[in-house]
Amino acid sequence: MTAAFLVSATQAWLLIGSLIGIVFVAVGIDRIDEDARGAYAFRPLLLLGCALIWPLVLWRWWILESGRDKWPNRHKPHRAAHFTVAIVFAISIPAIIIAGLTVKQVWPESFVPQKLSNHEIEHRDADPV
Amino acid sequence: MSVKYIPVQWNPNKWKYNAVMLASIFAYLWIFLEWVPGQLDHEGRINGAIHNARAFGSCAFFMLTVILCIGPLARLDQRFLPLLYNRRHFGVMTSAVALTHAFYIMGWYYAFSPSNQYEALLFSNTSYGQLVGFPFEVFGIFALLCLLILAATSHDFWLKFLTPRIWKGIHYLVYAAYISVIAHLSFGILQDQQDNVFPALFIASGLGVSALHIMAAIKERAFDKGAIDTDSSKWVRVCEVTDMEDGFAKVTKLGNKERVAVYLMEGKLSAISNACAHQNGPLGEGKIIDCLVTCPWHGFQYDVRDGRSPAPFTEMVPTYKLKLKGGTVYVDPDANPPGTYVEPIEVPTKKETS
Repeated sequence: MTAAFLVSATQAWLLIGSLIGIVFVAVGIDRIDEDARGAYAFRPLLLLGCALIWPLVLWRWWILESGRDKWPNRHKPHRAAHFTVAIVFAISIPAIIIAGLTVKQVWPESFVPQKLSNHEIEHRDADPV
Repeated sequence: MSVKYIPVQWNPNKWKYNAVMLASIFAYLWIFLEWVPGQLDHEGRINGAIHNARAFGSCAFFMLTVILCIGPLARLDQRFLPLLYNRRHFGVMTSAVALTHAFYIMGWYYAFSPSNQYEALLFSNTSYGQLVGFPFEVFGIFALLCLLILAATSHDFWLKFLTPRIWKGIHYLVYAAYISVIAHLSFGILQDQQDNVFPALFIASGLGVSALHIMAAIKERAFDKGAIDTDSSKWVRVCEVTDMEDGFAKVTKLGNKERVAVYLMEGKLSAISNACAHQNGPLGEGKIIDCLVTCPWHGFQYDVRDGRSPAPFTEMVPTYKLKLKGGTVYVDPDANPPGTYVEPIEVPTKKETS
């Protein structure tokens, strides 16, 4: 049930994003980026990105269309966050590997499998073709 | 650079970079598929589909490992900067290799389910409450999704459209993708692996990436920890003019966490933002040739007097006002709008100062 919902939601997300992408690539891009005017060969490359992050595409499209883009925001790298991200990233890697090694089940070489019950596995023949 | 967008801006360096990258991928896959089948067998031989899936999956892991080593290596030693130049093509190819891995997995493990195979992928193991037998597939799905977003937004259009700041924020997903891949392998193949070669390479790769990021972060931290020295009018002290070398910059930080690159060029001082308009690369690490500084990351150029790229390109970065007090260089922390011309300040010669 949950799996079916997730698959359907993903399909719906990509369908909506693809439709928005087609409109953006065909019409919107010329309105907000002068470097795109007269350039068509690169546009199909944008469709997958539009399908995946379409809410962000709509938001940025609106910001640029409405003249709300602020130039200082283009020159502010994520420098403050970088140290924290790097340290959390660096610590997470060995922590996850150790967790994986901890739960790894290794049988002793001398281990001999034992039959625990006499229950017979029911074999079903493949359907005759 | 700017002007009109084209699908890929090829140049000889990119051809060489991609040729080496593709040759390495083919060599890895060939070795994996032809030389190591015996090591992968369990009680019985693994079949071709599983073998292919493991070849492409492990190849994607090592490619992502290399990608994540390039950034910190370039920050620690500038000789690694050429590897950074075409890293986006490397990333797109990694996504393609990871996607091929996923196709092989779907085409074998889930191809014979009576249910929809994508639904089968999600419901075949739901032991989320325990580490032993944890459904490691979910980590692979998340990592692949991250890689696809990174690849799909790799064209320069996205940088300009989203702004470098938002684009970089999205591309931080590469860290989430790598952590997810580490979990995918730790709770997946590592639980099953019977020889020691892959686990050793896997652990060494992960720890190597981890160590490089810590070293690079500490180096950056040392710069950011330095105190900001201001005068009575809040202008920020940069350095003594005698410490500067013609054609190069001194980078200093401002109170708002911005960095400014102050250049000495033919006896005159100019200052621009240290963040390139393309990907916020460190302009202060570039050298000036004919009034133009070249970003060490991707080769974008700017006139240090007005922060503009030479025609026909249209990129611009903010400029800053400077002043000389005695032999000390100070910068106004308030940036001028990108492309604003600022008259360079002449540095008195030793004869004039004496």
